[in-house]
Amino acid sequence: MNAICLFLVVLIPCAGGILVPLVPWKKRSHMMVYLEGVVILNSILVWTLLFHRPDEIFSLVDFTGNLTIAFQLDGLGTVFAGLVSFLWPLATLYAFEYMTKERHEKMFFMFYTITYGVTLGISLAENFLTMYCFYELLTLVTLPLVMHTMTREAILASRKYLYYSIGGAAFAFIGMIFVITYGDSISFVLGGVMNAAKLADGKNLFLLIYVFSFFGFGVKAAVCPFNSWLPQAGVAPTPVTALLHAVAVVKSGAFAIMRLTFYCFGAEFLRGTWAQYLLMAVVMFTIVYGCSMAVKETHLKRRLAYSTISNLSYILFGVLIMTPLGLVGALSHMVFHAFMKICSFFCAGAIMHQSERHYIHQLDGFARKMPKVFAIFTVSAFALIGVPGLCGFISKWNLATAAVGSGNILSYFGVAALLLSALLTAIYMLGIVVRAYFPAADFDYETIADVKDPNWKMLLPLFVFAVAIVGFGLCSEPFTNLFLAVAHGSF
Amino acid sequence: MLLPVTFPILAGMVLLLKKEFQKRSALLFYVGGVLVFTAAAALYAIFGIREGVTLFHLTKTLPVYFKLDAVGRYFSLTLVVVWVLAGFFSFEYMKHEKNEKRFFGFYLIVFGVLLGLDFAGNLITMYLFYELMTLTSMPFVLHTQTKESIMAGLRYLFFSFAGAYMALFGIYFISRYGTTLNFTQGGVIELSVLQEHSGLFLVVTFFMLLGFGVKAGMFPLHAWLPTAHPVAPGPASAVLSGIIVKGGVLAVIRVVYQLIGVSFLRGTWVQTAWIALTLVTVFMGSMLAFGEPVLKKRLAYSTVSQLSYILFGLAVMQPEAFSGALLHVSAHAFIKVALFLCASAIIYRTGATRVEELRGIGKGMPVTLWCYTIVSLGLIGIPPASGFASKWHLAMGALDSGIAVFSWLGPVVLLISALLTAGYLLPVTMQGFFPGEGFDASRFENKEPSYQMLVPLLVFAALTILIGLAPNPITDAFLAFAAQVM
Amino acid sequence: MEIIRNFPCLSILLAMFSAIISSALKGRWARRLNTFVVTAVGILSACTLYFTHVTGKSYVYVMGHFPAPFGNEIRFGSLEAGMALFFCVIMLLSLNGGRHKLRIDIDPAKENLYYIMVDLLLSSLLALVYTNDLFTAYVFVEINTIAACGLIMIMESGRAIEAATRYMIMSLLGSGLFLIGLCMLYDMTGHLLMSNIQQSVREIASSGTYMIPLLVTIALIVVGLAIKSALFPFHAWLPDAYGYSTVSSAAMLSSLVSKGYIFLLIKIIYRVIGFDIFVGSRIINVLFVFGLAGMIMGSTSAIRENDIRRMISYSSVAQIGYIYMGFGLGTPVGMAASVFHILSHAATKSLLFVSGVGLTDVSGDHKEFIELTGAGYRNICAGLAFTAGSLSMVGIPLFSGFISKLLFSQAAVQSNLKMLPTLIVLAISTVLNAIYFMKTVIRIYTPVESKYESVSVKKNSLYAFTLFCFIALNVVLGMCSQPITDWITQGLSVFA
Repeated sequence: MNAICLFLVVLIPCAGGILVPLVPWKKRSHMMVYLEGVVILNSILVWTLLFHRPDEIFSLVDFTGNLTIAFQLDGLGTVFAGLVSFLWPLATLYAFEYMTKERHEKMFFMFYTITYGVTLGISLAENFLTMYCFYELLTLVTLPLVMHTMTREAILASRKYLYYSIGGAAFAFIGMIFVITYGDSISFVLGGVMNAAKLADGKNLFLLIYVFSFFGFGVKAAVCPFNSWLPQAGVAPTPVTALLHAVAVVKSGAFAIMRLTFYCFGAEFLRGTWAQYLLMAVVMFTIVYGCSMAVKETHLKRRLAYSTISNLSYILFGVLIMTPLGLVGALSHMVFHAFMKICSFFCAGAIMHQSERHYIHQLDGFARKMPKVFAIFTVSAFALIGVPGLCGFISKWNLATAAVGSGNILSYFGVAALLLSALLTAIYMLGIVVRAYFPAADFDYETIADVKDPNWKMLLPLFVFAVAIVGFGLCSEPFTNLFLAVAHGSF
Repeated sequence: MLLPVTFPILAGMVLLLKKEFQKRSALLFYVGGVLVFTAAAALYAIFGIREGVTLFHLTKTLPVYFKLDAVGRYFSLTLVVVWVLAGFFSFEYMKHEKNEKRFFGFYLIVFGVLLGLDFAGNLITMYLFYELMTLTSMPFVLHTQTKESIMAGLRYLFFSFAGAYMALFGIYFISRYGTTLNFTQGGVIELSVLQEHSGLFLVVTFFMLLGFGVKAGMFPLHAWLPTAHPVAPGPASAVLSGIIVKGGVLAVIRVVYQLIGVSFLRGTWVQTAWIALTLVTVFMGSMLAFGEPVLKKRLAYSTVSQLSYILFGLAVMQPEAFSGALLHVSAHAFIKVALFLCASAIIYRTGATRVEELRGIGKGMPVTLWCYTIVSLGLIGIPPASGFASKWHLAMGALDSGIAVFSWLGPVVLLISALLTAGYLLPVTMQGFFPGEGFDASRFENKEPSYQMLVPLLVFAALTILIGLAPNPITDAFLAFAAQVM
Repeated sequence: MEIIRNFPCLSILLAMFSAIISSALKGRWARRLNTFVVTAVGILSACTLYFTHVTGKSYVYVMGHFPAPFGNEIRFGSLEAGMALFFCVIMLLSLNGGRHKLRIDIDPAKENLYYIMVDLLLSSLLALVYTNDLFTAYVFVEINTIAACGLIMIMESGRAIEAATRYMIMSLLGSGLFLIGLCMLYDMTGHLLMSNIQQSVREIASSGTYMIPLLVTIALIVVGLAIKSALFPFHAWLPDAYGYSTVSSAAMLSSLVSKGYIFLLIKIIYRVIGFDIFVGSRIINVLFVFGLAGMIMGSTSAIRENDIRRMISYSSVAQIGYIYMGFGLGTPVGMAASVFHILSHAATKSLLFVSGVGLTDVSGDHKEFIELTGAGYRNICAGLAFTAGSLSMVGIPLFSGFISKLLFSQAAVQSNLKMLPTLIVLAISTVLNAIYFMKTVIRIYTPVESKYESVSVKKNSLYAFTLFCFIALNVVLGMCSQPITDWITQGLSVFA
């Protein structure tokens, strides 16, 4: 395919989104059809691109000198773009139904669709500068989504989100400067672009810069101690929390760290250094911390958000093993966690939408009233725990075997942290499931008489995700092969 | 071979999703049919199929693979017998519980899962069914939905997952240092690769033992068992205590004898610590049972103690002890299920749960109490009932093992525990038949349960005697097996 | 093309004479004359820029009949011409953007006075940019000060007068120090023309005599100009002066007046003292530290501020800190980054002032944040422009602020010792900027039932057009920075 399509897929959602508030829609359904059309069309275009990859680079503008905004589709980008473009149409469909109860729909959908384009921009970026630009834009276009309800709480949350993200980007910026200055080019090349001779001089300095930029991008990936924005951002409408704060935004952070580690600094250079150990320790702490907080939390969405914090650090842990297998583990968890978490978030959203209940202790006996939603929730819970046969097990297996295989003592502890976190996951997820299926014997079902399953627009995405969770779990081989090819640069 | 695994699972799911049956008899007919059919298919698989089957690949290196060997056959045979009989027992018993459909749905699913566990031919398949076993058996514990049972269920879940993950930690290492994850006599670890990491690997092994030991109620992670087992409905606590705990035993056998290899572990600190833990558990379980007034809880503590007999036999790593341990697997399964079923029958008919309430019960329920007495004797280890044979082999094997202190300390502890066993089981019989002068046994008049309950009890009692009289086929088979793995 | 050589001189004279003529004109005509003059000067500067850029050389224009080393000289290269053009553009836009407000703020009878001041300001700025003579520079520094005071005072409110007085005192202190430095330099070298002084300074430096007087001289000149351009910690006059004057004044003061001084300083560094000698003195370390401190302190003060105008003013303190930090790095790349930031900051800060006034206008002239809630909906143009300006300040890609940040950090990486402090302070300062600017943006887009009327775009088309030009300028600086940085590097190399 022509390389200009790489830019088109970024542009179409942005333009399509901006049109939403400008056109005077006669009926809500017209807008829905239009938006869903734009999103699906774009996803189809993305998938066509994935299968007919253009080899050349598309340069949009020259910034200064050798700094260009350019797009290219490589292995890692393929994974992320494929993931995002698969999830977006479903999430949009879900959002139509969910947003019936919220105000300012047009603004919401405008930014929601623009975010699609910006996220694709991150995944298709050819060089660090382009990625950085879209990374900053992502913060800005998602900000109105977090603010959406415009309550005091939402505004506080969005301010926090903004400060954290911009601050993170400011530190990632330092890394970019170093890549520009000391790299042979700023394009992403597997194995790193840093000039070996220059690197040798000030190794500790470079490691320090790596740590800075890791934390910089790590803000979006909610790595401790920069995680507190994520649970707060849960005040946003559920389609945002589910798609952005479980997939698009937070995974952009993880994706950027993959780029930084494997495609800029180079895993060879970093492996076995104090930077690796330090960050690994931090990430392991985050894994356990996130889960523990999730156990403590009683608000449904916030609990899931804490769970996301922990799971994102699984991905980062995979990256920090700094072997190709580690990257495979990280990629598989990136993809699989996306499905599991969006599924559980959508279930939570369905519950909130149907019943206006936000706290876990209010969910007694819900499984009888919302059997479909809770069946799917249970599947996603099992997958998050890592029950074999579902996709969560596969990614954990890949991560853990990579960790054990790396021969790095600290990564053994990482495996232990993964398992401890799995145990805590079992507690906080199954706590909900048990409550819903087995309320106390004297529970009065009359109190939740008005609760019922949502309509097909909500159920369809849920169902697709549940099937995907099982499907990935049972036949993950093609995916693992793809990830292996990506990690070895042969894709 | 796949049929007995998948069929009951699917049938159980159908049952869960289906609307309520119009008549109770239709439900029972359905469940009974599935049980019998599965049992038949399983028996055919046990005796008829030799080669392994790969169902599908989870990842390239992780196939879901089924293959039966001697241990698998033995465990699954025990399972089939117990499960079908306990199932028929519950037809009657479940009348007085709510949510029957859910109970039977899960009863069928767990049957399939356990068969899968026993049939598993590699570690991953076993782990898969091990996790599923935890998840699908949890509804038994939760069944009554009282606050107590929900807390017990969550505790069960927590301990089981903790154990499973400790084991999973080891699985990662085995997959790294082993040649294959298929069960192979004598182990799969490449000692040459392991050399420099052997200290680490011992730690990992110890964690695995502790992890799988959770299911088998081994000290220090046994605390879930006495709370979880008694709150389930009677037949469920019977199978939980008689069968599901054996999942842990099976996993330990697989890991120690067929993956890591005895030669690697023998004489290391891991073996010593493991034996010590089992002996502590044996003694402690008996002591706690001795002091427990509620019958079902007493039986649950007894399970804690008895399971560690088996683990002790495995831990000394000596052929005769190994065969004794495996003999005790089926012996204990039949006995403990029978004991729990007796207790359930009593609850069902009279509502009595505490031991002191059972005074004079022999007058009203003589057959039940006789069955109870026979199997109790088996558990204590009085010939000719089955417990004697297994304990004999255990003790002989331990004495023969040549492990410094434990070769004599082990049998002594076993003996003390046997005395305690007598102490906590027999008073029921004594007081049941001989309530003492002037005791008014009228409230137990004609409380004998129906034949649906009695027949399984009688069969278990008969099996106990049978194994006690002719243990040799089993012990011989496992002596041969032990020769291969040691 | 010889005639173009006369353009710089011509534009200075044009501006001065228009000031004189304006005193006889009515307000409206003074305004028209001013617009004409600024445009004309802009065109002249554009021609000069084209000419110098094509030839790539610098020219000296002798004023009067005395050749060097006596007499007055004007010197212009592409950098000077470009700066002059840029100043004209900003001045034109700032005046247009604030015109509506100006009519409200000042007494109609004094309108011509205002434009006299503006004309004077323009001529002094041009002179500061073009001059090759230190004494001429001093004279125009004073003219500049007086004009700026006039611009602040024109509101005639109590606070404005107080602010103007304060500005006057601080400015005179700065000019005084500058003058002393000048005298000492004259004492040592016996020259006033820049090129001649530089020769002598080189001789002095190489001979090793007068080292301490030389250092003191440099310090005096730098500190004098730093006070006038509000480098932290000499910034105390700034928030009031910018906060309480009319908006055009504030925009011009922040983006032109202080920048004129900074440009003079650059010129002195390169053409009087010599870049290497300047770097060799330890003054740059002081500048570096003050710059970094300014970046942080300016922003923290801005965060604490509850008045949008004063907040923007404090942000200027931080941005001036950036520029001095660039000097402090002591490399040509750092200087180039500073020059770029002069442009970028001028374009952004005037945009912020002008759009800020649009927001306060639709909030009943209140400058407190609480009243500004939802102002972005009431005046859509101003809201969007303020957002764009904020994003540029925070350093979001595609806007000019990002490029200056990029250039600064690229410059910083070349210096071993100063790299880490610079990078970290840059990052922190970005966060701080984000905190106060984005907080305001969120505030103005928070919907509220407001008691104030909203303003439509059509009614205020000149204002909207001005804002659009500002944003376009910003984006052009942000997107096509390569030619501009090339031009700056070339201009700086011609300087030396």
